[in-house]
Amino acid sequence: MSFEWPWQYNFPPFFTLQPNVDTRQKQLAAWCSLALSYCRHRKLYTLDVLEAQESPLFNNKKIERKLSVEAIQVIFEELRKKGNLEWSDKSKSRCLIMWRSPEEWGKLIYQWVSKNGMVNSVFTLYELANGDDTESEEFHGLEEGMLLRSLQALQTDGKAEIITMDDGKGVKFF
Amino acid sequence: MRRGVGAGAIAKKKLAEAKYKERGTVLAEDQIAQMSKQLETFKTHLEEFASKHKQEIRKSSQFRVQFQEMCATIGVDPLASGKGFWSEMLGVGDFYYELGVQIIEVCLALKHRNGGLITLDELHHRVLKGRGKYAQDVSQDDLVRAIKKLKAMGNGFGMIPVGGSYLVQSVPAELNMDHTVVLQLAEKKGYVTISEIKDSLNWERERASHVVDHLLKEGLAWLDSQAEGEPQYWLPALFSEIASRDVTPEEANQMTP
Repeated sequence: MSFEWPWQYNFPPFFTLQPNVDTRQKQLAAWCSLALSYCRHRKLYTLDVLEAQESPLFNNKKIERKLSVEAIQVIFEELRKKGNLEWSDKSKSRCLIMWRSPEEWGKLIYQWVSKNGMVNSVFTLYELANGDDTESEEFHGLEEGMLLRSLQALQTDGKAEIITMDDGKGVKFF
Repeated sequence: MRRGVGAGAIAKKKLAEAKYKERGTVLAEDQIAQMSKQLETFKTHLEEFASKHKQEIRKSSQFRVQFQEMCATIGVDPLASGKGFWSEMLGVGDFYYELGVQIIEVCLALKHRNGGLITLDELHHRVLKGRGKYAQDVSQDDLVRAIKKLKAMGNGFGMIPVGGSYLVQSVPAELNMDHTVVLQLAEKKGYVTISEIKDSLNWERERASHVVDHLLKEGLAWLDSQAEGEPQYWLPALFSEIASRDVTPEEANQMTP
C-alpha cells in the first residue's frame, strides 16, 4: 500500500522553517504527524539524522525542496517533547522513533499471546519478533530495544517475566 | 343687476367650496375603495405566484437569478430583511440564511490552513460536497449573494476580486488596497516575489516588503526560501492541490478553537 502524502508535502514553503510563530506552530505539528505516519508505514524504529535528510520524508525531489538539518533537529525536538522520540546518543545523530509507545506494543503482544492460548509459554525474543508464527502480526520485525521495553512494561504490569537464557533473553507470559 | 361682493355672494362661494370639498372627499373614498380592491387582487396573485414558485426558488439557481433580477427591476430586495414579505412568502430568505451558515462552517474548517482566505471556486466545491447527492443546486451567484448578506451583518466577511473571480475573506484581517493588489498578483502562480511586486506595480522595495510581511503575519502567506533566485511567498488559499483534500483528523486537532 503506497503512502498517502498530506497536501503540505507538495507545498514548497513546508520545507522552510516559517518565520511567523503561529504558522510555524502549525507547520511543526504537521511535520510531527507526517514523520510518525511515515515511520509507522515503513516500520522504521530508528532514524539517523544525516540519512533522514535524504529520505523521501524530508526530501521531496519532485518539487526540489528539502528540510535543512536545523529544521530536522527542531522537528525532532518537538517529537521528543511529545514523547515520540528518544536520542540514542549524546551527539544527537541517531534516535529512536516511537510511533507507538512501549506500553502499546506490550498490549498488542499480550493480546496475541492470550488469543492463541499461549499464556504460560516461554518465548525467546527472536521467536516473538521474527518467528513464522508472528509473521502477520504488527509487532513482527519489532526492533529489539523496543521489544525489550514493551516486555518490561508488561513485566511491571505483572503480565510477563523476562528471563535470561543461555543464548539470549526470553519471556514468559502469565 | 350687479354681481356684487355682498354677504350673499360670499355665502354662495362658501357653499360651492364646501360642495367641492365634499365631492373631493367622495372621490378620494372612491379611489381608496378601488385601490383596496386592486391590492386584494394583487395580493392573491402574489400568493399564487409564491406557492407556484416556492419549490423552484429552492431548487433552481437559474430561477433564483432571474427572480433576483426581477426584484431589482421593481426596486425590491428580497434579502433586505430576514422577516420581509418576500422572504417569508417565498422562503428565499431561509435559503440564503442556511447557505450563509454553511459558508461560515466551511471557512472555519479551513481557516487553519489558509488563514481565512479561500477562492470562490474552492468554497463552491466544498459547499456542494457538503450538501450531498440529493441537495439543491447552489450556484456561485448564490454564494456571492449569501456572502454579501453575511458582510452586511458584520460577520467579518469580504470579497476580493482576483483573476476573474473572487477570494473570499472570512477573517477580519486588515487588508488594505496594497494587500489586495498583491493578492491579485499572486493569483496567477499561487505565489509572489518581491521583484515581481516591484516590477508589476512599480513600487519601492520597502512597500513590497511591508505588504509581504503583513501577509506572513496574518497567516495568509508562507515563506519559501529554497526557491531559485529569491524567496517566494506562497498563499495556501491559492494552492490548487488543497482544493480537493479533506481535512484530516490530525489537521482537525490542530485547529484553534
